[in-house]
Amino acid sequence: MAAQQGSRCEIELVIERTSTTQQNPRTNMRTIAQSSLLMSLNSLLTKFHAGYFRISLSLGGQALLWKTLSSVPTTDDKSNALRRVFHALHPTVFPILWSLALFILILLSLLYILRCLFFFKMVKAEFLHHVGVNYLFAPWISWLLLLESSPFMAPKTVPYLVLWWLFAVPVVMLDVKIYGQWFTKGKRFLSTVANPTSQMSVIGNLVGAQAAAHMGWKESAVCLFSLGMVHYLVLFVTLYQRLSGGDRLPVLLRPVFFLFFAAPGVASLAWESIVGSFDIASKMLFFLSLFLFTSLICRPTLFRRSMRRFNVAWWAYSFPVTMLALASTDYAQEVKGTISHILMLCLLALSFLICLSLTLFTFLNSKMLLPDNDPIANLVIQFPVAD
Amino acid sequence: METNKKIELAEQGSPEVPSLIKYISSNEVVGFDTGDAQLPSPSTKESELTSIERQGDEAVVINHQRKQSVSISMPLTCEEVLPHETNMVFFSDEAGREGVPISAVDADSKSPQQSKYYSQPMPKAYVHPTDSSPHGAEIPNHPGIRAFRDKRFDSFKTWSGTLERQISMLRGKSPRHTREEENNNNNNNNNVRNTERPVPVDRYFDALEGPELETLRSSEEILLPQDSKWPFLLRFPVSAIGICLGVSSQAILWKTLASSPSTEFLHLSLRINLVLWFISIALVITIFTTYLFKIILYFEAVRREYYHPIRVNFFFAPWIALLFLALGVPPSITKNLHHSLWYILMTPIFCLELKIYGQWMSGGQRRLSKVANPSNHLSVVGNFVGALLGATMGLKEGPIFFFAIGLAHYTVLFVTLYQRLPTNETLPKELHPVFFLFVAAPSVASMAWAKIQGSFDYGSRIAYFIAMFLYFSLAVRINFFRGFQFSLSWWAYTFPMTGAAIATIKYSNEITNVFTKTMCVILSIISTLVVTALVVTTMLRAFVFKDLFPNDIAIAISDRKRKPHHHHHHRKWFHLGHGTHDTKEIENYLKFVDSDKIDIEASTTLHPSNSTEDSSSPSI
Repeated sequence: MAAQQGSRCEIELVIERTSTTQQNPRTNMRTIAQSSLLMSLNSLLTKFHAGYFRISLSLGGQALLWKTLSSVPTTDDKSNALRRVFHALHPTVFPILWSLALFILILLSLLYILRCLFFFKMVKAEFLHHVGVNYLFAPWISWLLLLESSPFMAPKTVPYLVLWWLFAVPVVMLDVKIYGQWFTKGKRFLSTVANPTSQMSVIGNLVGAQAAAHMGWKESAVCLFSLGMVHYLVLFVTLYQRLSGGDRLPVLLRPVFFLFFAAPGVASLAWESIVGSFDIASKMLFFLSLFLFTSLICRPTLFRRSMRRFNVAWWAYSFPVTMLALASTDYAQEVKGTISHILMLCLLALSFLICLSLTLFTFLNSKMLLPDNDPIANLVIQFPVAD
Repeated sequence: METNKKIELAEQGSPEVPSLIKYISSNEVVGFDTGDAQLPSPSTKESELTSIERQGDEAVVINHQRKQSVSISMPLTCEEVLPHETNMVFFSDEAGREGVPISAVDADSKSPQQSKYYSQPMPKAYVHPTDSSPHGAEIPNHPGIRAFRDKRFDSFKTWSGTLERQISMLRGKSPRHTREEENNNNNNNNNVRNTERPVPVDRYFDALEGPELETLRSSEEILLPQDSKWPFLLRFPVSAIGICLGVSSQAILWKTLASSPSTEFLHLSLRINLVLWFISIALVITIFTTYLFKIILYFEAVRREYYHPIRVNFFFAPWIALLFLALGVPPSITKNLHHSLWYILMTPIFCLELKIYGQWMSGGQRRLSKVANPSNHLSVVGNFVGALLGATMGLKEGPIFFFAIGLAHYTVLFVTLYQRLPTNETLPKELHPVFFLFVAAPSVASMAWAKIQGSFDYGSRIAYFIAMFLYFSLAVRINFFRGFQFSLSWWAYTFPMTGAAIATIKYSNEITNVFTKTMCVILSIISTLVVTALVVTTMLRAFVFKDLFPNDIAIAISDRKRKPHHHHHHRKWFHLGHGTHDTKEIENYLKFVDSDKIDIEASTTLHPSNSTEDSSSPSI
């Protein structure tokens, strides 16, 4: 319906232009332009939803990856060639990448704020939807990632601290609401609402823990980590059991299955930040993430149906792979073996490739970015849940 | 096409069956008179058959109508097997075990139905067509051919018997003949395509019952004749590999007993380990070779075992057995094993895991909440055993990798089994020896973690105590383990007890006192006694009762449920059943009612998750 409005808008515009040429053209044009702008903004806001933050999530992850790569010490012979290339590129690419990520995140945040202001009912419907609610974590995770990867803000400074608080508190509040619902609320038990996107909440906690650990706030870091891990345990078992069979996930959202290996990957990074080194627990989490990644890419048929047309869910592929690549970098640094280096290079290449191709696809298909039949938008519109 | 076939049949006069039909050449029947005369007395028997056949609609061309074709079927023990509509089931007995059977009956022209009568060994052989048939169809006229096929089991053979034909071709059949056969069989195989379709797991749940999903429900029928002994390979289940597990774990136990500081007071020698190890090697070689033959010759049966929700876990058993052998290798033979051995052994486990765990996560009909059963522990234990072996060999990262994966999936499995979800169809309602598999994973995990860390630290102790708790909670309920039919898979359930004993020994190395030492001794005695009892039972059943390998019903379930109504007129002629087999024939007959259903099932089962996904997403 919003789409139809939008299209109707364009048609009307054409007619009006031709018919009102006799009257004062300038003021009419201005009002027409204004109204058309408002209309398109309206349609944009109605179609926009939190799932679009996947884009900023991926870019933030990439920024973090570049930052980590540049800070790895160049003591290892094997990676010398890579390091040299990297250091040549780094000074120019990284700030651009980070700024791009920041810009997009600001844009998306503004859009979402506008949506909250003008279409609060829709935001509420998103909140009450079992898939949409998990993406409410995405903005905060993106901001935290950008904070961690910022080139000019050192971790142990006051601005960093303030910003961390600003982003972590909403995560905790959302946690309390959602996790509490899992085991108490009548209609929204975990067994009925669990789906792969629920792992976004876990990732939120873990990224918060990692940022806190960088700051030096070990206790908050451990607190958020344990919150994330205990719920991850419950969620992992529930998702593997697949009680409700079909998983209640639309086919177009199949790319979110990649979140299965994003969570252990981020957990491995968070634990490493807390402990200080890539110890055995981080290794085990990294291996679990690697195994799930292998398991998913060996099943291309699972994703075939969602790959027919471009939609913003494709961005869900990028963040998990980036996190896995990050973890593999730390692993290779710890273990210093040939296989680990090869693994790291493969994953890095894959992560860059995916991000690049997704950006390309988005530019080429920018029209399809706000499609009429986006699963989440439609679900939320068609099934507005009562207050 | 039908007319063509008829002509073929008509002209062949040999037991050569047209594409829809499989035939058996009487030549191949051992003991058949390979005279070239036609059956001297087609009269009684043939006429019976012909009359029966004529009742069918069309295309009831029976070879034996022709002078040259021959089929001997004795009405006496006729067993009719109606092949599934699209599933041609032909049973053929291996190499003249029960005499000679058969006549191929041709299928209805509309559908590849075939029924076969087979009878007790016929004294007289029969015919073979001379070379006068226009097609030059060669009848397997060659005396040298011994591979006579009882078509009953053909559908379970690899490529529906073509492999056997290839093998018999190698033995000296004429190439022309085989080409002819190949053509026929290619046509046949097109109709047998549905055996290539994976059997949906729901079929197994519907058709079978019992703690190991082995017993057929009374309402179900199976594809193979129930009252005759099937070929040995068809009766050899994959769970027989459990014997290797049981014996090789004993070898490890005696090695540990002899070489641990805390059990030195027993003064055991390493010779026991040596003897047991060699016995295990012999067993492994024998059983693996047998199963390999089964894979080569009866691939369809192996496929069906793979799709069985419980038997699939036993596909991990060979690799675990090899890992046990590597763990239990006597020190006098070698002290250090090469690292590449570990990689070689873990690769198949890794691939199988990717498949099975992926199914748990994303497979619609094989999701964990539906198929979880204690035998799934076998798929998880492999990780821990691999980690243990790797750590013993000195590897660092690989063992941690497999330990992590094993731990994660074990947690999921453990919670699921403890929940005993109502949607779970495979959990036995009563206590059954399979529950001992619960003890396997934590005990091996504790040993693996101890080896990885270097000492029996807290993580290992936690796992060890969990294992002990589970062991005791099962042991005190020993009274409830009653009334179960012995089966070969019980061997697989003994290795957890042995594993618990070995873990106790390792624990007592760390914490040495009287209590732990007593526990070592007691648990070792229990495990040895159990294994001995199993050895005795197995021997008894093998040599005295001769039913160690009963007909493996579980793999022969039909693809469809039996329907109560029937409207295949071409089947009517089967009503002229013989004697006591009337009801059975009718039941068999009634089984294959609606051919359309198969396609529906095929389309739904092939994309179960997709269809459910679709239905759940309203906007798409």
